[in-house]
Amino acid sequence: MTASTAERLNRARRGVGVSGHGPGAPAPRRKSVISARAWTLLAFALPSLLLLLLINLYPVIYAGIQSIRNGDLINAGDFVGFANYASVLSSPQFWSSAQFTLIFTISGVFGSWAVGLALALLLRTRIPAGNVFKVLLLLPWIVPVVVSATSWNFLVATPQSPIPILFTALGMPNVLFLASPVLAQVTVCIFKIWISFPFMMMMMASALASVDVNVYEAAKMDGASTWQTFRGVTLPIISRSTYISWILMTIFCVNDFPTIFLLTGGGPVNSTTSLVVLAYRTVFQNFQVGPGVAIAFLMTFVLVVISVVLYRQIRKVNVE
Amino acid sequence: MESQSSGAAFTRRGFIGLAGAVSATALLAACTTGGGSSGGGSAGVIKFWNQPWGGTTFNPLDKQITLAYKPPKGLGKATYQEIQWANFTQTYSSAVASNTGPAVSSGGGTQAFLFESQGKIAYADHLLDSWKKNGLYDDFLPGLIDTLKTKNGYAAVPYNLDMRVMWYNKSLLSKYGVAVPTDWDTYVAACKTLKSHGIYGYGTYAGAGGFTGGHNLVSHMINNGGGLFDSNNQPNCVTPENIEAMDWVLGLVKNGYVDPRSATYTAANAQAQYKALKFGMGWDTGGLASNVGGSVGNDLVVASPLTGPSGKKGALFFPNNIMMYTHTPSQKGSEAFLTYYYKNMAPLWTKNTGIGLPPLKSIAATKEFQSVPNNVKIINEWQPISKTWGAPGSNTVFLNVTTVDGTPAMDTFTQGILGGKVTAKAALTTLQNTLKANAKP
Repeated sequence: MTASTAERLNRARRGVGVSGHGPGAPAPRRKSVISARAWTLLAFALPSLLLLLLINLYPVIYAGIQSIRNGDLINAGDFVGFANYASVLSSPQFWSSAQFTLIFTISGVFGSWAVGLALALLLRTRIPAGNVFKVLLLLPWIVPVVVSATSWNFLVATPQSPIPILFTALGMPNVLFLASPVLAQVTVCIFKIWISFPFMMMMMASALASVDVNVYEAAKMDGASTWQTFRGVTLPIISRSTYISWILMTIFCVNDFPTIFLLTGGGPVNSTTSLVVLAYRTVFQNFQVGPGVAIAFLMTFVLVVISVVLYRQIRKVNVE
Repeated sequence: MESQSSGAAFTRRGFIGLAGAVSATALLAACTTGGGSSGGGSAGVIKFWNQPWGGTTFNPLDKQITLAYKPPKGLGKATYQEIQWANFTQTYSSAVASNTGPAVSSGGGTQAFLFESQGKIAYADHLLDSWKKNGLYDDFLPGLIDTLKTKNGYAAVPYNLDMRVMWYNKSLLSKYGVAVPTDWDTYVAACKTLKSHGIYGYGTYAGAGGFTGGHNLVSHMINNGGGLFDSNNQPNCVTPENIEAMDWVLGLVKNGYVDPRSATYTAANAQAQYKALKFGMGWDTGGLASNVGGSVGNDLVVASPLTGPSGKKGALFFPNNIMMYTHTPSQKGSEAFLTYYYKNMAPLWTKNTGIGLPPLKSIAATKEFQSVPNNVKIINEWQPISKTWGAPGSNTVFLNVTTVDGTPAMDTFTQGILGGKVTAKAALTTLQNTLKANAKP
């Protein structure tokens, strides 16, 4: 007996394929004994697994140990339990850094995505010397961040810099792009968007390239406007790539040390100190290894949670 | 079938066993320190690590001096490694922790005290005793060696002096009829005149990597008889002298004599302001004129130390130093190399490599050094009145200095003062609380 349409759809939502395999399928009968072949394969993989464990797991375990001890850069110190976590979580600096990290990440992810998507859509149209533009637009991503930060410092730091001169000409003298705490945050976020949009542009361009043009023609025939086509056709089709790029950019932003440190050093008065900058300064400037590593672990935990949520979103998109 | 299977199984086991052995060997090799018991290198070689203390000619010349070392019989030669300033703390810490570090090195001004607290420093007492016999000890500028003395011994030996001094542009001051300030009141008056011509009178910087702004503030505190530490080497920031000094700076900020961007200026930004003739006076390292360069560099002159409201003179300085480590193939070898190095390091100054001021009187007396008037003035007028971070409690460097030198607490304090939106007492109290929380008993 063939399955009804409703049944098939229900199976599809649960992720069960035609053959009955898939995550939603009933669990197969488990074999009680692992086969000799499986043992052999495991043995073959063992050296690589050991290497991977040593390379990846050892530093994490070591850092975990450091986070529950009061050691320094050389000595392990004494066991202090979760005192480092408690002291970090009760520190106002941690929460103000967390707040800036959130601002920096949200603006970095969505700002660069918006600019990247807009440029990817623009570059789909036939414009003269389009390939040249593509290469030029990749430059912010390609150029080493040390060079970019120096250039941005040149652009905004002093009254003789080009952008302050422009603002003065527009009747807005004394705009302190880096010296005002709020403007410094804005400048750093814009700098991050500028550095990151080429990555988003590439991700979105490759996603857009996979869209069948017939879909657009069908939408056109149905009388959809450009905006309706973008919202109803383009965005849903590229949503999987969008979520992946958001996950990656979230990780890039939260872990971004050089962009902030090279441009402002975390100042003025800690206004641009993100969690990763705070962790660095705690370990290597205050020489407090335990609390610094605890900050890094808390960051990792939050990143894992965000990644899991976004991955679930991707799976949902796949099923739909 | 069975025999085939057996054969195959034997081959796989053999292969897996071999692969496992190779992996284990590779891992063990990777995990070893490589140095065995002689972390300073094999066959008693003394590993010397030095920083880029000057321009591009510094390290090649320094390397040349190091490699020319001919050790006494039975002691090892010296090798040379240049260590960049970027992340130098990590470089040294990881090397020292893994026993792959140097036998002798320079480094950050407080580095010796950090490693001394961890039992990694070989005290220089025996070396200095030997220098008392060969005249080297008496060649050091007065009081300099004792700035590096801890309760257990000398943690390091002075190498070059990093001074914080007052500079002015002689052409600008002359052009606008401004007399060179001699005390805090005349300094304010000079700033007022300069401001009327669109020039800032208090040039400084405290942005990314720019710790000089904070150094200058502590310099003013010392000028007024204050400072950050008491005689027990514990933080003691909220004192009348310090409050008065910071009120003086806040007054300069509020009157518009300080560029409002100073809190986030880098050293390069500040130098650009000197070049653009926007900074008429300011506070910086002894190398400002050469860093600015050109015609403006030639116009920059070191002023005499100001007299503070309490009638005192004073400033902050950093006795950058060279330290010896306990992990050495031979302590005797480390000391023999350092003796050679100090006897032969004069070209680092006489050939104008850009290194800070010399610790030895004999180098300061050379005609090459004497030909730079600014340097002579710093050595003659600023060095004798300058004190370490330990002021006013002591004139030494110690472990708790690591809580202020280039730390977030000091950055926040400095940027707060230069931003002008704090009171002196509130800023000093915040600094005191942070330093106290981070201080070692």
